[in-house]
Amino acid sequence: MNVEITELTRRFGRNQAVAGVNLQAGTGVYGLLGPNGAGKTTLLRMMATVIPPTSGRVRLLGRDPRAYGPRREVRRRLGYLPQNLGYYPGFTVVEFVEYFALLKEMPAARVPAAVATAVERVDLGGRAKAKLRTLSGGMLRRVGIAQAIVNEPELLLLDEPTAGLDPEQRVAFRALLRDLGQRATVVVSTHLVEDVGAACSEVALMDQGKIVFQGTPAELTARGTEQGTGDAPLERGYTAVLAAARS
Amino acid sequence: MTAASAPVAPGPLPVARRAGSAVLGSGRLLRLELRHNAMMWLLPLAAVLFWFNGYREIMALPPMWNLRAMTLQNRLLLDLAVPVTGAAAWMGSREGRRNITDLVAMTARPRWARQLATWAATTAWAEAGCLGGIAVVYGMTARQASWGGPLWWPAVVSAAGVPMLTAIGFAAGAWFPGRFVAPLVTVAVFFGLGYGTQAASGDHSFWQISPLTSGAFDIGAAPGVATFYPYLPDLSIAQVMFAVGLTVAILGTLGWSGARSRPRARLVVAAITAAGLAASGTAVTLAGTGRLDPHGMIVIPALHGAASDQPVRYTPICSHTAIPVCVHPAYAAFLPAVTAAVGSELTEVAGLPGAPARLTQVAAVYRQDPGNGITVSTAASSGSAFVLPDQLPGVPGATTAAFTSQLEQDLGLQLVSDVILGGDSRAAAPSQAQLAVIAGLVRFGPSVENRDLEPLFGYLLPVPGSPAALAGQRFAALSAAAKHAWLVHHLAALRAGRISLAQLP
Repeated sequence: MNVEITELTRRFGRNQAVAGVNLQAGTGVYGLLGPNGAGKTTLLRMMATVIPPTSGRVRLLGRDPRAYGPRREVRRRLGYLPQNLGYYPGFTVVEFVEYFALLKEMPAARVPAAVATAVERVDLGGRAKAKLRTLSGGMLRRVGIAQAIVNEPELLLLDEPTAGLDPEQRVAFRALLRDLGQRATVVVSTHLVEDVGAACSEVALMDQGKIVFQGTPAELTARGTEQGTGDAPLERGYTAVLAAARS
Repeated sequence: MTAASAPVAPGPLPVARRAGSAVLGSGRLLRLELRHNAMMWLLPLAAVLFWFNGYREIMALPPMWNLRAMTLQNRLLLDLAVPVTGAAAWMGSREGRRNITDLVAMTARPRWARQLATWAATTAWAEAGCLGGIAVVYGMTARQASWGGPLWWPAVVSAAGVPMLTAIGFAAGAWFPGRFVAPLVTVAVFFGLGYGTQAASGDHSFWQISPLTSGAFDIGAAPGVATFYPYLPDLSIAQVMFAVGLTVAILGTLGWSGARSRPRARLVVAAITAAGLAASGTAVTLAGTGRLDPHGMIVIPALHGAASDQPVRYTPICSHTAIPVCVHPAYAAFLPAVTAAVGSELTEVAGLPGAPARLTQVAAVYRQDPGNGITVSTAASSGSAFVLPDQLPGVPGATTAAFTSQLEQDLGLQLVSDVILGGDSRAAAPSQAQLAVIAGLVRFGPSVENRDLEPLFGYLLPVPGSPAALAGQRFAALSAAAKHAWLVHHLAALRAGRISLAQLP
């Protein structure tokens, strides 16, 4: 298992953002669904080793990231796209992706080729030399994805990756996710249930800091056949599970 | 975004563990940082500030290496302080301002290494600006100076001060990442540097550690300092030690947050910070032991090498006047002014008994008075030695007229009185006739007022309006040949006090 999470909690002052999450994930694409404030981003930030958990245990890629050495090893094999992507406006697309390739301590000789590949995979080859300040929101999102995948991560964490992408790009992105999921563990946090249905092999639904459902998209859909609300079958399953968890 | 059509992605990449790859990676990172560094864009501003504030003043100084190098140390870092500290603070706060902290926090490269790359790029650009300023001033001086070579210690101090400024700015930006930290830290550093140069009191002041201080507080850059004797590196060594130590300590503190959970790293960071603080603290203590030496420079006993006390060898430049006047070659440009100021006296006393065969410039002697006062005098025991005033034309506040007047008062009067009084002016009170002849031989320019000469009345010059003064005016009206001829025949009697006012022509 690339991700093994046991009784994970995280507090911010008196607010408990994550409350006893258990999660295991191997190779494949995992969708993390949930309403605003459910704790998805906090969970991803802990998995990305950005913040430490308050309690509980995390093992990533077979290593315990609490210790510096293993944490650094994990980070070399990690890709992360935060919800709010900060960027340096003066950097070009290639420079920004190269910057993160170097920060991830990729072998320097392989960086140029890896950067070119990552930029091509997000379909920004034509804008490779463009300054980030000149790009649209959707393009910036794709730059964020490129920096996340530049090191061919074994664990890829994406927080709202399709926000700002047009429908055509979202379709292409889902294909990319499926491709990446063949070799790596990809965890995608999203509000968009259609992304989950199209790309994810498994899905977890979070509410109030806890995972209230874990299974395949088909299983989630099945939960909504009787009492869920929504336009799509998966949306009905989503709302049905949430309603059940809150009742 | 493509999956099927994209280039075939390789498997998980091997981790960079070889030292060569790490160095190459760090080099690429530094190149990226160099390409996108705010300091690069502020270099033109730094150049304009230096040109306006420092360069024009430095180049207006007489072309003497000591004057220009020491003034450069005093000006350059202050001119660079605003753009350099501001750019460093801007770069230090970049991650926080750009909301990129999460993204970089999950990367494998330690935060400290990442920050050092950004700081190093900022410092490299700032250092390029600093060295450029030094190169321009030294290049121009090399073409103009009549003697000597570059003084490297003032340049080294300025160069060592640049990383200190960038470290202060960068750390402030990293600790308080906001838009206002850059202007705030810039103002604080600018006034801190300025205050450091003004706070020194006397030669034992700890404030001498300021990298802007190039010499004793009340002398600063003076022509007489580091001309006859080599430039003493004592204070410069302490200043470099301070700047480097402070830089290391500040950069060490940047590593604290990353080392919090790692005992060994914490130890390394603590050791680096402590070493930096120890170096800078020791340097401040050493600066406090500095004292003004007779040659106008600061001696720090613990750092002083006796070899530095040996005078510099040089071949003097001499005039072709009746009595040759010889000056240090660094003053070659001022020899015509010297001979013009005392030319008539030289002609009138040349060949007389007791007249010197030549006049030779010697080093001034500096002595620290209480507070910031410094007395400049001559150690010369013979009348043939003289000291040129530090207020050379071109030095701020000095004019050619003032320089000439000073020479007339000092060198002209000394020369004439030595000849007339037989080199023993303090043995007995001179006679009225002697005072009249001295007054008749020395020419004071129109800028010399009676109040300037007042201490000399009755001692070397007659009291204005007295019979001796009137006799002196009569004597002065004679031609140079007539005065010389009269002195040839009557000097012995005049010295012996056997000539009265009535017997003067």
